[in-house]
Amino acid sequence: MTRATLAESLRDAESAPSSPAPATLGNAVSNPPSPSPCTQEEGWGGGSAAPANRGRLNLESLTKRFGSSHAAAIENVTLRLSPGEFVVVVGPSGCGKTTLLNLAAGMIAPDKGRVELDGQSVRGPGPDRAVVFQDHALFPWLTAAQNVEFGLKMAGVAAAERRHRVEQALAMVHLPRSGGKLVHELSGGMRQRIAIARALVMDPAVLLMDEPFAALDAQTRTLLHRQLQDLWMQTRKSVLFVTHSVGEAVRLADRIIVLHAQPGRIRAEIAIDLPHPRQPDSPYMSELVRRVRKEIEDEVNRVNAQMAQDDWKPAAVDDLGGASGGMGDGI
Amino acid sequence: MIWAALLAAWEMAYRLIGWRSYIFPAPSHVLDALFRMEHIRTAFGNPIHTPGWPRGPAGVDLSGDTLAAALWVSTIRLAAGFFISLALGLVLGVLMWRWAWLDRFLGPLFLGMQTLPSVCWVPMAIILFGLSDNDIGIMFVLVLGSFFAFAIALRDGLATIPPVQARAGRMLGAKGWRLYWYVMLPASLPALASSLRQGFGFAWRSLMGAELVYVFVNSHGLGYLLEEARLGPDMAKVVAVMIVMVLVGMLADQWAFGPLERRVLARFGLGEKG
Repeated sequence: MTRATLAESLRDAESAPSSPAPATLGNAVSNPPSPSPCTQEEGWGGGSAAPANRGRLNLESLTKRFGSSHAAAIENVTLRLSPGEFVVVVGPSGCGKTTLLNLAAGMIAPDKGRVELDGQSVRGPGPDRAVVFQDHALFPWLTAAQNVEFGLKMAGVAAAERRHRVEQALAMVHLPRSGGKLVHELSGGMRQRIAIARALVMDPAVLLMDEPFAALDAQTRTLLHRQLQDLWMQTRKSVLFVTHSVGEAVRLADRIIVLHAQPGRIRAEIAIDLPHPRQPDSPYMSELVRRVRKEIEDEVNRVNAQMAQDDWKPAAVDDLGGASGGMGDGI
Repeated sequence: MIWAALLAAWEMAYRLIGWRSYIFPAPSHVLDALFRMEHIRTAFGNPIHTPGWPRGPAGVDLSGDTLAAALWVSTIRLAAGFFISLALGLVLGVLMWRWAWLDRFLGPLFLGMQTLPSVCWVPMAIILFGLSDNDIGIMFVLVLGSFFAFAIALRDGLATIPPVQARAGRMLGAKGWRLYWYVMLPASLPALASSLRQGFGFAWRSLMGAELVYVFVNSHGLGYLLEEARLGPDMAKVVAVMIVMVLVGMLADQWAFGPLERRVLARFGLGEKG
């Protein structure tokens, strides 16, 4: 698929759910580094420390075991995020990558090891490590804007400032006019963008993303990859991103962590030393995806054989088979 | 249409065959009974005097409470009992959802209570509270006959809240009571709305049963009116009171609890509108 048709189809996908998103959305795909409507200097996060000084997330020798299963979900995993780094954890289903994310979020406590954020030990979940969940987890009784506002309200931010920051956050995800909509009135992609806005509005030190785009169709996903990269380049948040898609990992990551399943350990680390934003359909990217897949292939095959009766197999075939071509990378 | 035809046929059958009206009244007699309870005379009253029935001047039945008075008494009892029952049920429902051991203990008990007709609580109420203070006794029956419905409905509803919503709330800084007030409570609104609807049905039925059986003393209320009509015997009044009971239950459901539930579901995108 050529660049032009891809960009066109993205524009179609965006306009379909009666989205009020500005035209720059579609254009942004074909015209990289467009100036953002909302920059760091505009008070994003309201006087927080410069991003370069925040977001050092250290996962130290984490072990987590569920129930009496003999294999640990996570075994002795050490992972350190530098401020502003985008780290993607890939691995097949059941390799413990969501467990790793939940440990970082403080949703669950490790059996061994510890989680530290900027030198502080992490106990329990909190808005400094905002999570974007796979199924958006927005509150259906609130409007989109109220969802974004929720964390600020819990933090006791004054109403006037709340309104201002919610507006900024909605503009940031290109949904400035969807604030009044109820969750069920939003498309899947819009819900995830609201969920991202809800996380970013808290000005977290780290953004934790748990397969946030897995439930979306391929076109919406590619679009959101692009938007997430823009957001990340604006805010320079540290991001810990979990996925089972190699294409997604290569597109987004500074560094890819490949997890080994049962027990969940780090099998490989791959640095992707390419400038952002990245074009998913460049031949170089395809080549890179192919190479990373090659490195992961053994692990996928091993787990695949283990889980032969599992319905996970088609996804694996897709992951390995769709080697070249722009759309395949998004899967 | 079918209903009108049926009523007409019923009326015709009565006129043609000539049943004894105190055993098988015509629709017109039931209508008359409704007015008679308000001491209003109608042109289509029962031509045959029911045996032993005290008649006031001009053939108007002056015995017993008026329908409005009875309805008022029952409504007050219902309102008070409903809220006691609701509060008790909600607390237990939340606790049962929170602690599995409590659910394992109370769950089967409540399911068992659901099979027990609520009037079966009357003997216990009489022993506990005696006959003189019938309001407390009736309320006791109402509460015991309905609180478990609130509890079970709320527990089931809470169980359907995706755990990820609680996690999202905690991630955004909602802790302790704020997590319950701002996340769990709104998230359980659909469950709450349907538990209100179900619990009301139980409460209303329990109340009617209790009033009906609690007639050793003049307990007033709709149930008492029904029993009074039985003593007549005044079948037209029996039917009239029963119709009022059904109407109250239906109207509360159609005009209050039903729309409430639909509004909540629409908000959540769960109803037909979603």
